[in-house]
Amino acid sequence: MNLFFQQVINGLTLGSIYGLVALGLTLVYGILHIPNFAHGALYMVGAFMTYTLMIDLGSPYWTAMAGSAIIVATLGILLERLVFYPLRHSPPIHHKIAAIGVLLFLEATVQLFWGADFRRIASPYNGILRFDGLIIPEQRLLIICGAITLLIGLQYFLRKTMTGATIIAMAQNRDGAFLVGIDSNRVAMMTFGISGALAAIAASLYAPINLVYPSMGNLVIMKAFVIIILGGMGSIPGAILGGMIIGFAEAFGGFYFASAYKDLISFGLLVIILSVRPQGLFAKGAH
Amino acid sequence: MLQLKNVDVCYGSFKALSNISMTVDTGGLVVLLGANGAGKSTLFNTLSGLNRPTAGDIEFEGTRLNGLKPNAVVSSGIVQCAEGRKLFPQMSVHQNLMMGAYVHRRDRQGNKRRLNEVLELFPILEEKAEQPAGSLSGGQQQMVAIGRAMMSRPRLLMLDEPSLGLAPLVVKQMFETIQQINSLGTTVLLAEQNAFAALKIATHAYVMENGQLVMEGDREAMLGNEDVRKAYIGA
Ligand SMILES: Nc1ncnc2c1ncn2[C@@H]1O[C@H](COP(=O)(O)OP(=O)(O)O)[C@@H](O)[C@H]1O
Ligand SMILES: [Mg+2]
Repeated sequence: MNLFFQQVINGLTLGSIYGLVALGLTLVYGILHIPNFAHGALYMVGAFMTYTLMIDLGSPYWTAMAGSAIIVATLGILLERLVFYPLRHSPPIHHKIAAIGVLLFLEATVQLFWGADFRRIASPYNGILRFDGLIIPEQRLLIICGAITLLIGLQYFLRKTMTGATIIAMAQNRDGAFLVGIDSNRVAMMTFGISGALAAIAASLYAPINLVYPSMGNLVIMKAFVIIILGGMGSIPGAILGGMIIGFAEAFGGFYFASAYKDLISFGLLVIILSVRPQGLFAKGAH
Repeated sequence: MLQLKNVDVCYGSFKALSNISMTVDTGGLVVLLGANGAGKSTLFNTLSGLNRPTAGDIEFEGTRLNGLKPNAVVSSGIVQCAEGRKLFPQMSVHQNLMMGAYVHRRDRQGNKRRLNEVLELFPILEEKAEQPAGSLSGGQQQMVAIGRAMMSRPRLLMLDEPSLGLAPLVVKQMFETIQQINSLGTTVLLAEQNAFAALKIATHAYVMENGQLVMEGDREAMLGNEDVRKAYIGA
């Protein structure tokens, strides 16, 4: 029972992180039709920003996380302006090439300044909570609660505010959005900003129980792509549920089978689900 | 109110509109007739800022319109209710209407008033307010589309084939509503293939063929014209 519960906590933790990363990826894809391969690099930069703000500049954990979110959101907006906006009339393959270029550029830049070493961020929340024999590490609880709070906040923003509604409108009907006077540039920048902030927060939440290094985003972004393919490209609930499915599959698969193969699980699941439901789990009517 | 002078529009190397000159007077209900592929939607999208003219001038209430972005066009008072409606299908009817008020989002009082006016035009939308727009019938979706455009408070409302795919009875009501909107003070530019019904409510009309305007005149002249009757009315 206890071991089982432990895996549930691990699944929720991983699922929360994957869900947040996939959410940013799916927003950008759903609204701007850009498969942003550089999203994993934004995640990585987020971890390094939190690391630098905490270790080198001595900020508290939460301040560092907020700073990192702002920096990476700005980086996302810059990417949109400097890289993707100029390519808006180009064939889609150019977006993909540019995104991979950005990914390599960011990785190389971080490696230049910080080196390729593995680093650790010590969380102030390294205690362990016990409930009746069940054990929850504080940081994992923080990850789960943080992800839920962000999701509720994002949902509120998208559904209940006019600014958020412009993003949904653009996703549901691009021309319709233009015809009511929505400024596509504003929506594009906002989407990249939100996507970057989500990646940075996910990285900052996860970093204390993981390592920080320049290529840390690669495996995460591959899984995030698996998730949004599973969930239906562009679907918000699909990204969250897809994240949970992969998170749980890894936690339980890694525990009951072989943890050395846990990264294979998501790709195995992708093959199975796509052969049964090629359109993804929630392809229709999601958003 | 609106003036086009020698406007050309191209899709790549294909010239979709050539040498379009037309005028829409304040308060008028101007009909643009033309078969499928004539270039009506291209003209509307050019006015809305979705296409760029390659030559010529567009002037609206004394200011140059060409080159303006779609959101600037809407703010300036030209609003299009597009072919195919372009609704936000998973948003509710009410949300769709409120998105129409996007450019006036700071004027909440004004939007409330406007919403009531729109619901007076289309009372059925009040009942359907919370339903997803995509779940409505074709005629009701068209009402949402026109209602959404009206929420943008157009001085010139462009309607692109609002009767397309609707049952005859619904079409009849639709044209009555369009006439009502016009009589309440909104200038209307209406693209239609349904020539007879459209001409009945028109003040003025243009005929477009292969990207060119080939004929124009007021309602009586057009209804009486042999060529128009033969080509578009079938009598
Ligand atoms: N996006 C586009 N790219 C290329 N050609 C187009 C495009 N849109 C319309 N056309 C062409 O332009 C011509 C006019 O089309 P359109 O304006 O849609 O006519 P209408 O609205 O009168 O049916 C047609 O020949 C059509 O094939
Ligand atoms: Mg058309």
